Amino acid sequence: MVEAGIGRLVLCDDDLVDETNLHRQILFSEADVGTDKLLAAERELYRLGARPGSIELVRSRFLPDNARDLARSVDVVLEGADNFATKFLCADACFLEGRPVVHGAAVRLRATVLCVAPSGAPCYRCLFEDLPSGRAAPNCAEAGVLGPIVGFAGALMADRALSVLLGDNRVFGNLVSFDGKTDRAREVTLSARPRCALCSAERNIESISYDRYTAASCAA
Amino acid sequence: MATVRIPTPLRTLTGGEDQVQAAGDTVKDVIENLEKNHPGIRERLLDDKGVRRFVNIYVGDEDIRFLDGLATALKATDEISIVPAIAGG
Repeated sequence: MVEAGIGRLVLCDDDLVDETNLHRQILFSEADVGTDKLLAAERELYRLGARPGSIELVRSRFLPDNARDLARSVDVVLEGADNFATKFLCADACFLEGRPVVHGAAVRLRATVLCVAPSGAPCYRCLFEDLPSGRAAPNCAEAGVLGPIVGFAGALMADRALSVLLGDNRVFGNLVSFDGKTDRAREVTLSARPRCALCSAERNIESISYDRYTAASCAA
Repeated sequence: MATVRIPTPLRTLTGGEDQVQAAGDTVKDVIENLEKNHPGIRERLLDDKGVRRFVNIYVGDEDIRFLDGLATALKATDEISIVPAIAGG
């Protein structure tokens, strides 16, 4: 997206670069291990050609306290969180602030990308109603992920975000699932869930509250 | 026999197979027959209210929520896809 000339990029994270990130997080190198992810990413993005001053760093997790402000501050949100709580929080914040969002995920050999309109219908909660829990949600360490699968998801997320910025509404509601074992990508246009808690006429999510986002940290 | 595409997280239950065949006139029948050959898969897909809320099941490109749910009738040539929620990257 930087090389496409995007005007302003806001990065939100609070983590350090870990050696286990390197096979898939291509902004980082071995020399960055143990350092601040945001600074390492910023440095590499400017090296790639980001416009001077176009990158803003938010050294925090995406949390109920800052979610709506962050969503409101941009034209499109790219969500690649490693936990369901953040994914649902982002979906809710973007809908409440009227912002389009591209959700992406990759675990093991599978990637999914969903692009959601500012008005939802369908939204992430139309696809997956609420947070999973219990043994159906094995942890990240059990799951693992293959680097190129993340690359596929990231490239498609960027494509969708650029489409949104260019005013192409055809991408809204589009869900792509890629299976790296069979190399098959499956694309469907979702339908809105008639009683979606977030974006239907019967919606009941009107605000962001901490207790709504308590769940297992990662799942596959 | 319907073809059921198995997502990566559930392939531990199918011996690594990414697709399996299962008989059944409806999606529910197919899942019950899957369970006979791959014990444990039903619990990963269904709870006492029906399809688990973080799993979607498609017949072709249609989400069964917008068909007849688990009672959705199947043809022998139908392909069923299971799409669970994932988080990570």
